[in-house]
Amino acid sequence: MEKSNWVWRVVFLAAPVAVFSLLVLWPLCSSFFYSFTNWNGFNPNYKFVGFDNYAKIITDRLFLNAIINTFIWMVSAILLPTLLGFGFALLIDSNVPGGKIFKSIFYLPICLSAVVVGQIWTWIYQPDWGLLNTLINFFLNESMNFAWLAKPDTSLGSVIVAWSWQQTGLSMVIYLAGLTSIPEELLEVCEIEGTSTWQKIRMVLVPLLTPATVVVIALSVINSLKGFDILYIMTGGGPFHSSDTLAMHMYNESFKKYLMGYGSAISVVLFLLALVIIRIYFRELKRIDEIYG
Amino acid sequence: MKHLISLQYFKIFLVSCLGFFCLSATTHASEVTISHYFSDEFGKENMGKVFDRFEAVTGFQMKESPVGHEDFKTDILVRGASDSLPDVFSYWAGARVQFVVDSGDLSPIDDMWADSGLDDVVAKAVADSATLYNGHRYLIPMQYHYSGMFYNKKVMADAGVTDMPTDWEGFMALCEKLKGMGIAPIALGSKFRWPAQFWFDYLILNTAGPEVRAAVMDGSAAYDSDEVMAAVGIWMDMVNNGYFVANANADTWTDASDKVANGEAAMTLMGTWITGYWNGNGLTPGEDYDFFPFPTINPDAPVSVVGPIDGLVISANVQNKEGAEAFLSFFVSDVDNQIEWTNAVGAVSANVNVDPSVYNDLIQRVITTVDGASNFAFNYDLATPPPVAEVGLSMFQELMENPDDYGAILSRAQDSAQSAFSE
Repeated sequence: MEKSNWVWRVVFLAAPVAVFSLLVLWPLCSSFFYSFTNWNGFNPNYKFVGFDNYAKIITDRLFLNAIINTFIWMVSAILLPTLLGFGFALLIDSNVPGGKIFKSIFYLPICLSAVVVGQIWTWIYQPDWGLLNTLINFFLNESMNFAWLAKPDTSLGSVIVAWSWQQTGLSMVIYLAGLTSIPEELLEVCEIEGTSTWQKIRMVLVPLLTPATVVVIALSVINSLKGFDILYIMTGGGPFHSSDTLAMHMYNESFKKYLMGYGSAISVVLFLLALVIIRIYFRELKRIDEIYG
Repeated sequence: MKHLISLQYFKIFLVSCLGFFCLSATTHASEVTISHYFSDEFGKENMGKVFDRFEAVTGFQMKESPVGHEDFKTDILVRGASDSLPDVFSYWAGARVQFVVDSGDLSPIDDMWADSGLDDVVAKAVADSATLYNGHRYLIPMQYHYSGMFYNKKVMADAGVTDMPTDWEGFMALCEKLKGMGIAPIALGSKFRWPAQFWFDYLILNTAGPEVRAAVMDGSAAYDSDEVMAAVGIWMDMVNNGYFVANANADTWTDASDKVANGEAAMTLMGTWITGYWNGNGLTPGEDYDFFPFPTINPDAPVSVVGPIDGLVISANVQNKEGAEAFLSFFVSDVDNQIEWTNAVGAVSANVNVDPSVYNDLIQRVITTVDGASNFAFNYDLATPPPVAEVGLSMFQELMENPDDYGAILSRAQDSAQSAFSE
């Protein structure tokens, strides 16, 4: 009986290990391997080109453009949902009328897939009949048909707004949970001492909500690194690469230009970048854990 | 005890899953797998009719996996990379097929071509330009399309235009007249980039000629050469003059087609598939819309027409070669099938046995136009290798956005194209 259990334990463990190896480890190793080749995705007779693909990265102006966009994307995709989520949580926690309804409404977008969110916002940004231009025209009495997603100056920012709209609800719920754990007495002391709202937020709420902030930022970092689908749906990295992030650039080089070797080299750089960010995050997490226990 | 029962259920579940997987992985001997990009409701319905006709005649079973037009380009690459290409797949004749042939992922069809007597079936001009790669036959043409100026007849009639322009001066005068009436002369939907390519193609062909254009496509002439600069300069003048709809980069080709259909714009440079789209929306060819050939700019340049040829190819790892070859032969040889298919998708058959009178008057005039041309050129993204095509397609969007910077844009494109050609 014991032996049979042991066998089944191995069987149960083998399944996830096999899936993880097949879907994560093997593609990861393959990417490293192909990044040293000139494979085009079709031809099995590829050649090893050493570090040529990595050397090309240095001179590729589109790669530099993608790095800048990735930086903008990550900073915005972390800051906006965090700040907005915090703000909404404070508002709802202050017992504003209809707070519970707003909580549900703000949380709803996170239940939608990024593809659905991308499509909804593509319609909102549509220049001729989209909601945004219609509202602007209504309130400003103008005839505006600005193509938010088709202009290089606004395409990335427009996607960031859509992304933040989806992610804010999650941050808000985490902050709301954090706010419930703050002792009432502390807030009452603030009232008695006559502290301003800003002082209460800065001196009491922000420090005590640090564990919640850690979770929010962790989720934002992970989600922003995965943020490919919404960009693919809304702009595809365009117009003319203005919203290309590293993930988008890697996809375009690999699957549209058929430069799988070069695309793999970009994916390795992206992997290393993610590794550095995760390393920094864990270091900070440990430090905060030591402070707050 | 309860734990043991659960374990038994789990074992049964595992074995069942394994059995189901093995069964579903088994391919029937008579089954031919096919992937194609006619994936919208209309395309799928008509492809289904082709399968029904083929299955009734031969007894083979077609098993399809349709993929959206834009996603197909990626999907077929992924399947090629994992050696899981279907027996048959649709693909665009020209540089894209050449790319897959060079990668060794296609089966030559020389024997089937000879056995089916396709030399007597496929129009020679199409056979020579679209089916031969590295000296072997690899593709059968499903149909060919032609790109021309499709226009709204009512808009033109309201503008008092009855004779469509044949030369550039007349065309510019028409654009100016329409613009003066508050109608956008030309609709363009370059959100997915490729619709803009026809302007690039026709302007180079009509100013510098097919040889220069072919040289640009194979990398022996530069994007920032005088000839290309001059051709693109004409295009950019049109953009600056306000002859194109605003926000072309925000529209798809169907958005642009809708703008012409509902009178917001007068005309659009598009392939004959627009007739399938408009007919499906209840418009009548010859009554609601019509077409005219791209106007002549340089009378000394040979008359050229531009368009794609959709084809069917057989993968190198084909499981059912007999069935796959039978399907290709049937598709192009069966006259009834060709008539029904090409009429449905708004295209022209490459089968010489198809009587042109089976088409409506508009398509018959398309055939006359193509027959009268001295050069049939594949459109840009089918005429140049895929890595280079990506450079040019993005360049077209940038040109539409920044027409004044076209010199710098072409120079940057040349640098990128040169790098892509050397890959």
